[in-house]
Amino acid sequence: MTRRKFLPLAGAAVVGTYAGLKLQRPPKLPDGPPGNSAVSVMRARSYSDDLVSRMLEGIRQCGLNPRGKRVLLKPNLVEFDSATVINTDASVIAAAVEVFEKLGASEVRIGEGPGHRRDTLDLADDAHYRSTIPKFEAIFTDLNRDDVSPVRGFAEESEFYFAKTVLAADLIVSLAKMKTHHWAGATLSMKNFFGLVPGSVYGWPKNKLHYIGIPESVAALNRKFRNTFAIVDGIVGMEGNGPIQGTPKPAGVLVMGSDLVAVDATCCRIMGIDPEKVDYLRLAADLGHVHPDRIEQRGETIASVRTNFALIDEYKELRLA
Amino acid sequence: MGGPLRDFVPLKLSLSSADFSSVGGVYLQSRLDFLRGAQNPDGGWGYFPGKQPWFEPTTYAMLAMQGKPDSGAALDRAWKLVRSWQLPDGSSRPGAQVDGGTWVTAHAVTLACVRGVYDAKTRAAVDWLLKVVGAENTLAMRAASFLHLLKTKLDVSHQGWPWREGNASWIEPTAHTLVALKKAASQYHSDELDRRIREGEDLILSRKCSDGGWNSGNPNVLNFDLPSYPETTALALLGLQGRSAAELGGPLDLARRFRKETKSSLARVWLTIALRNFGDAIEPPADEARTSNDILLAALEALGHPDGNFALLHTGGRV
Repeated sequence: MTRRKFLPLAGAAVVGTYAGLKLQRPPKLPDGPPGNSAVSVMRARSYSDDLVSRMLEGIRQCGLNPRGKRVLLKPNLVEFDSATVINTDASVIAAAVEVFEKLGASEVRIGEGPGHRRDTLDLADDAHYRSTIPKFEAIFTDLNRDDVSPVRGFAEESEFYFAKTVLAADLIVSLAKMKTHHWAGATLSMKNFFGLVPGSVYGWPKNKLHYIGIPESVAALNRKFRNTFAIVDGIVGMEGNGPIQGTPKPAGVLVMGSDLVAVDATCCRIMGIDPEKVDYLRLAADLGHVHPDRIEQRGETIASVRTNFALIDEYKELRLA
Repeated sequence: MGGPLRDFVPLKLSLSSADFSSVGGVYLQSRLDFLRGAQNPDGGWGYFPGKQPWFEPTTYAMLAMQGKPDSGAALDRAWKLVRSWQLPDGSSRPGAQVDGGTWVTAHAVTLACVRGVYDAKTRAAVDWLLKVVGAENTLAMRAASFLHLLKTKLDVSHQGWPWREGNASWIEPTAHTLVALKKAASQYHSDELDRRIREGEDLILSRKCSDGGWNSGNPNVLNFDLPSYPETTALALLGLQGRSAAELGGPLDLARRFRKETKSSLARVWLTIALRNFGDAIEPPADEARTSNDILLAALEALGHPDGNFALLHTGGRV
């Protein structure tokens, strides 16, 4: 069959399918929850800066009190490539461990379930996690291969499985990397929760999430886990063809907050991306604040730290005016 | 570079290597001892000692211990457990704590073939695998692919296997299923089984990355070529055993390079197992005791040792 003859026959089926493949953006963003959200932008020009002090200040500015809580730190550990900036930097994680211990958390653990089928501990080794983070192996859980329990009410699934370490946490801290992303536009604190889903049940990458839809899954994960905080590693981010093949982009910031929607919206503005055009933020806009009038910016202003991240052609339309 | 490509010549792989006069007693024994000690009371293995049992580590622990001295009772307990995870539709759950059949059904078939159990339950597992098709193999998706509406450059005309029924096909579950069905072919031969094996092989070959190996299953996104991964390349090669030298020469060379360069212990051992099944004479590992408490890794390391059971994953020539 020639392409010309095939087109009319396939057209109807394709329209329906394509509607599912390319998310339909709702016409207007919802208002979000009552009140405003605090987001702290702390300048950090290098990983050798005093990150502990900056995190303590950012957490104070956002009003978080983790005392007595079981804290799970969720870094973005993706690939073997210590020469680039794919993974959350080890010094950011080490600082976060120290900070939450100082603030009286009853337990501080690190958990990650990388999206690719790699040796997670070797991956952590290559990213200098073992050498930089005290007692790393004692506090780290591979969420892909942890014991699991079912939960109800995730996405439209009757039952969905999560690692027990995730379900046991009182506070999940997304230690994300500030990167562009070839499926989602940007990957920040909310997309980082893909690593909470166990590969042992859903495969590598987390096939079920891709099938549900990436923006839908990002929103669903953040709808499920509400006791959260974000510290985004934008000291050196990634621009261009992220989240793996992009190039390093120094932004010189840590971005923090309890409203992950507001944190990601702020990160987008720092990266020169219009958050109102990012599909997963539109879908999650009832969970937190995208609009700048509802975000109380603490620390640095966006204008003072904004540095446009290069975007691939597919996402040029996301550029913030 | 490793041994010659001999994939179109029936390989006779012995479980005891004749290539090396001295093979590591401590290396292999420490891993087998660890596996014996880490078996849960219910007969299964978790990914780590003392954790919930899962089908995947239980499969590789069983393969590693198959035929080894004093392993019979442990293997029988494990077999009884994994059989209890089979569902009425023939599929297997990935562990006692998870409902619904998944990709591990391929492991159930492989284990049954290794143990020579060709009963109604094994038949049901094979039938389930033959029934399951990746969800991207639909008219609508083919049309979308034809019209270049997808972000990926995928040939969605082939039928592979998903991690879970109702999802898209990926390289790894397809490779595991090819090993299982090729092993089962002598007992459950049918035109449909042959067709699905060819389809699965063609799906893997169609998703080869530009560097000659395989990643999870997307060789190109938004016109950017994506790199392959050592682990998936090894598994893809296991699934493609029996294909021609023209098709596999490049990937095998890449696998040999990956094996030398990778920082991933999991990748190194998967590549070792795959390359040994293609006849490569790989030097034995240093005769050192196990250092990790990762049960899957320990089982695969035991399996990939020259005196290990790597040939249990050999599937011979083309069907």
